[in-house]
Amino acid sequence: MISRTHTTIIFAILPLVIVGLFLVNLWFGSVPIDWKDVWTALFTNGGVSTAAQIIVVQYRLPQAITALSVGVGLSIAGLLLQTTFNNPLAGPSVLGISAGASLGVALLVLIGGVAGSFMSNTIAIMGDLAMVFAAFGGALIVLLIIVFVSGKIGNAVTVLIIGIMIGYLVSAVVGTLQFFSNSEDLHAFILWGLGSFSKTSNLQSMSILAITTIVVFVVLIFSKPLNALLLGKQYAISSGFNVKIMQTVLILIAGFLIALDTAFTGPIAFLGLAVPHIARSFFKTSNHSILIPATALIGAALALGCNLVSKLPGYDASLPINAVTSIVGAPIVIWVIIKGRRISNG
Amino acid sequence: MGSSFIDSQDVILKLRGLYTGYSSSERSKKHLHNNLNCEVKKGELIAILGPNGAGKSTLLKSLSGIISPLRGTIDINGKDLKKMSNKEVSKEISMVLTDKIDDRYLTAYDIVGTGRYPYGSFMGKLTQYDKEKIENSFNLLEASELKSRYYINLSDGEKQKVLLARAIAQDTQLIFLDEPTAFIDSPGKVVIMNFLFEFASKYHKSILMTTHDTELALNFATRLWLLGKNNMFVDGKPDVLMKKGMINKLFDRKGVTFNAETRRFESYP
Repeated sequence: MISRTHTTIIFAILPLVIVGLFLVNLWFGSVPIDWKDVWTALFTNGGVSTAAQIIVVQYRLPQAITALSVGVGLSIAGLLLQTTFNNPLAGPSVLGISAGASLGVALLVLIGGVAGSFMSNTIAIMGDLAMVFAAFGGALIVLLIIVFVSGKIGNAVTVLIIGIMIGYLVSAVVGTLQFFSNSEDLHAFILWGLGSFSKTSNLQSMSILAITTIVVFVVLIFSKPLNALLLGKQYAISSGFNVKIMQTVLILIAGFLIALDTAFTGPIAFLGLAVPHIARSFFKTSNHSILIPATALIGAALALGCNLVSKLPGYDASLPINAVTSIVGAPIVIWVIIKGRRISNG
Repeated sequence: MGSSFIDSQDVILKLRGLYTGYSSSERSKKHLHNNLNCEVKKGELIAILGPNGAGKSTLLKSLSGIISPLRGTIDINGKDLKKMSNKEVSKEISMVLTDKIDDRYLTAYDIVGTGRYPYGSFMGKLTQYDKEKIENSFNLLEASELKSRYYINLSDGEKQKVLLARAIAQDTQLIFLDEPTAFIDSPGKVVIMNFLFEFASKYHKSILMTTHDTELALNFATRLWLLGKNNMFVDGKPDVLMKKGMINKLFDRKGVTFNAETRRFESYP
């Protein structure tokens, strides 16, 4: 156990790291912009709109806000899934939940021909909502299957493999849908499916940030039942919780976060699984009253960092964000499997 | 009679026409014990003995509401268990189960802290009173040095102490323990049994425990429940049951007999 001062120090440093990474995200990109211009762009209302100002405010700012919010959202979702399923390998992408969200979006975009980000004004907001609902529906179906499978099979790795298989199945359905859809819809869907933090408007990114913040505070309320669940279902019941209701609520919250984020950025790999593990090993605790804020802060920092790395080539094109998050996340999964004693004994 | 009034005040748990078992599906119900009627009073340490598969754990989990009995009623402190919420039950019954806790970063203190969850608000932090209760339970078990250690790194005996401390911190009238002496070395078993006996009599708590340590149970328990196969259920004082040869009957196994003189199982050719 690390000391309280140690914990306080990490909690003091993390916001500084986030602010720093956030500013670097605004400054760094394919077009070189002076720090001074970044500053004026952020803090001048109206007045001259230089090219630099437009790039910072219209493109880099929403991208950075989206990266930060999605980093928080997916990481918190991963933490909730890992605790409620009592499975350290649970996460939005690995259990096929993101794939489920993709199916929902695919049905909407490819069959319904709705693509939120490509339309304007009120229709766009309707489109956004439709995307979120479609993603939520798809994610929820996969979540229900995982709930059922976890109830029957205790072994974490087996559940993981089944999750991956569900992911493949869903992807096959999405592939079939793509085959039968027109090229315009297909183009929109494929772009979405690559995953990117850069497709959101200022309004969208601010909405994601606001909703994510609210949800994180709601999740904090559940610290106690989450801690009790770490002892197993029966101990959680003996601590006075209605475990079935608690698990349902937590899974719905996780599903909502995954759907919200996936609808706007496309599926983002590994972030949700990796961050809770980083938080646990930083703070050496499983106590959720520390782990929830820790996961949120580290998720924000890591997503901003990954977004920065994806811009490194510096040219017009940037690296796919999923390539970057996978390079960070996949080794952590391997590390968890090798190190975890709790996995083998199911 | 004058004493019967006091006696009925002392009854904390009452089983009436209880049928235990579990249903794996709608069609197949597995009956373990039928029509159990008995009472538990304050200050009793009851050991539940019986061969593997007799339904000891099922009985304990039925009495705590973790699984529902097939029929009959359980009264806890005069209230029907079926009508109580999980939270209400958690203020009357604390438990030590055989479930493995395998989280890597939970400290002993974190685990004992969950024993106070029934009392706090849904999200509130542990109060000063909660913290005192936690400290007291660690002290009672002489386990204060374990507080900040990770649970997963503790020995089996230390883990058992921490789980017991959690149950004691929960401050309930009834404490249910599922095989608290399993996987513990012989002196450790005696320490735990002695602690349970003294704790029950000193604080007038009622402890129900399942165990395979028959000889220890005979020495420390104030009462025995013998649970055998084929719906066998016998309730009585250790000495009486022993003299009646009930222990032998319970574990009816070829080549082994229970000697009431030496209080030990012995093999015969």
